[in-house]
Amino acid sequence: MSPTVQIEGDVGRVVLSGQFDFSAHREFRQVCETLIADPVVKEVLVDFQNVNYLDSSALGMLLLLKEKIGAVNKSLALVNCRDTVKQVLEIACFGKIFTIR
Amino acid sequence: MRILVVDDTEAVLLLISRFVEALGHVAIPARDGGEAIRLWRECQPDLVLMDMMMPVVSGAEAAATIKAEAGETWVPIVFVTGIGEESRLAEAIELGADDYINKPVNLRVLEAKLKAFQRTLALNRKVREQSAKLADYYARAEEEKRVVQHLMEQMVNAERLSDAQLEYWLSPAESLSGDMIAAARTPGQVLHLMLADGIGHGLTAALNVLPLTQPFYSMTEKGYTVPDILIEMSKKVRQVLPVGRFVAVVLIAIDEANGCIEVWNGGMPTVLIVGDSGVVRHRWASRHLPLGITETHDVDTSTERFYFDAPGTVVAFSDGLIEARNRDGQPFGLLKLQRILQLPASRRLTGIQTGLDEHLQQTAHHDDISLVMGHFGSRLRGGGKAQARQLTAAELGELFVSAEPSWQYGLQLGAAELRYLNTVPFMMSFVNEIEVLMPHQSDVFLILTELFSNALDHGLLKLDTDLKQRPGGRELYLSARKDGLSRLASGRIEIELAGLRCHNQHMLKIHVRDSGAGFDWRGHAAPPGESGQGTGLALVRALASVLVFGDTGNDVVAYYLLDAPPTPRGELS
Repeated sequence: MSPTVQIEGDVGRVVLSGQFDFSAHREFRQVCETLIADPVVKEVLVDFQNVNYLDSSALGMLLLLKEKIGAVNKSLALVNCRDTVKQVLEIACFGKIFTIR
Repeated sequence: MRILVVDDTEAVLLLISRFVEALGHVAIPARDGGEAIRLWRECQPDLVLMDMMMPVVSGAEAAATIKAEAGETWVPIVFVTGIGEESRLAEAIELGADDYINKPVNLRVLEAKLKAFQRTLALNRKVREQSAKLADYYARAEEEKRVVQHLMEQMVNAERLSDAQLEYWLSPAESLSGDMIAAARTPGQVLHLMLADGIGHGLTAALNVLPLTQPFYSMTEKGYTVPDILIEMSKKVRQVLPVGRFVAVVLIAIDEANGCIEVWNGGMPTVLIVGDSGVVRHRWASRHLPLGITETHDVDTSTERFYFDAPGTVVAFSDGLIEARNRDGQPFGLLKLQRILQLPASRRLTGIQTGLDEHLQQTAHHDDISLVMGHFGSRLRGGGKAQARQLTAAELGELFVSAEPSWQYGLQLGAAELRYLNTVPFMMSFVNEIEVLMPHQSDVFLILTELFSNALDHGLLKLDTDLKQRPGGRELYLSARKDGLSRLASGRIEIELAGLRCHNQHMLKIHVRDSGAGFDWRGHAAPPGESGQGTGLALVRALASVLVFGDTGNDVVAYYLLDAPPTPRGELS
């Protein structure tokens, strides 16, 4: 999986695809860091449209991202979560600490 | 390079040696194969330039010896050969020589060959260094794994999992498991089960779950409840894990005496209750974030209870089980699991194991798999009650009139302390240290718990016991208790433990007094009903040899015989 980035106005969208697990760690971090550093971007969306599976290390990466984004006062939302992705997020009760749309 | 030059013709030896030196190498001259072997042993040169035909030991023989002795270290051997030696040359190269150069020696070619060998030697050394490093690294990793595995086994304490009420299965994806199962009983015989799943698998996942064991075991032993244990676990996890790491946890308390199962599920798959017939009777979906994500004071420790009136089994498992995928990418799935759970209780575990084997068909599972089943309701399958020995009149006389305490431990708590202190677990830290009490800590815990909650619930909070009898009443009772306690403004409870000797027998005196108005104890000490509820004082009566109420019922003393073997648990629960 190679995450791609789309910037529209002040919204930066990270589009993931395939399996979101530890193997995506490095690329995901790089992509997110460019968005965090970009002064134009005020909100980061992680788009799960094309993700068919995510594991617990992916949840860990999301937590790290949330921490970093919080530190620069930007906002974060997880979008287009369906099927397995939705289920995994629900079991972990991530709705309590993430905006999920 | 240090180059061993071997030739029996003095002129050739001199020529090659000088040339080698002119190229900046060190030449070590030898005049026959025997001397060559001796100097090789002595000087360990980097490369050998050797004539084929020599007296004493021939070049080919010397080369074979040097290659054999060099072992894994690569020492290039280059033969200097005359015309007509081709067949012997082929033999020598087969025996391990690396190259040859024809006589008369073309010095330009020799220079080029030496350079080529120097490059290859450098590369060869680098590879050897790296592979040695890799081997060291591997050995160290294996050793670390061995130590962690040992630590895990010690901390997880497998022997406590061998409980008749319990079946479990743990199948790690690697040699170390990031899933953990633990079980322990409170002094009051409530069975606590923990199933935890750290991020990923292998060493780091295993390290993530380790901090949970210590609070789980030590607090369960003192009789703390699930919410209290959770708070400590969260503190430990927050203290040791970095951001982005968390642990999904299920904590289960099976309380046979009160017919209640209490569950807290943070990030684990749904916990099931399966009746003897295999029907799913209750589910606890994950309601909380895993531990380690939020600050401890933000952790919601509220549990959900299920009151049972028929035997059954609590089933908890990690996502590794239902998500185990076969070659076609199909997960094992919850439905298949539930179908297997319809088997008779004794065949469920093996049913799940063979079911998963059939599903995976030799593909390895990529996440740790863990499953625990806690059976409950054996009390409802039958079993009587034991009764402590009653004292004789003479014994009673001595007890009340002349017995002097050999030790005494007293505590007085006001409203402020009662609001937050976990009094009985706190006192158990003392009880667990006193030698004569140790074998009886379970009975002592039960008596203390009953008498204390009697003083608090009825004496100070004036809760209505009848509330419990109504449908859903036990939940109402608990919330009324919590509510009342948070608003408790005045009142006090005194507890005193004392060791007595009476007719040469050790006795424990437990005295509890509250500042409340008292209650009609005559009506409450009746044998418990069939429902098993309202067992409180009847239970104390069964465990203690003597139970004496003060007139108003706000002052009660229990005497417990310490020389008798502790009440057998199977009969009591």
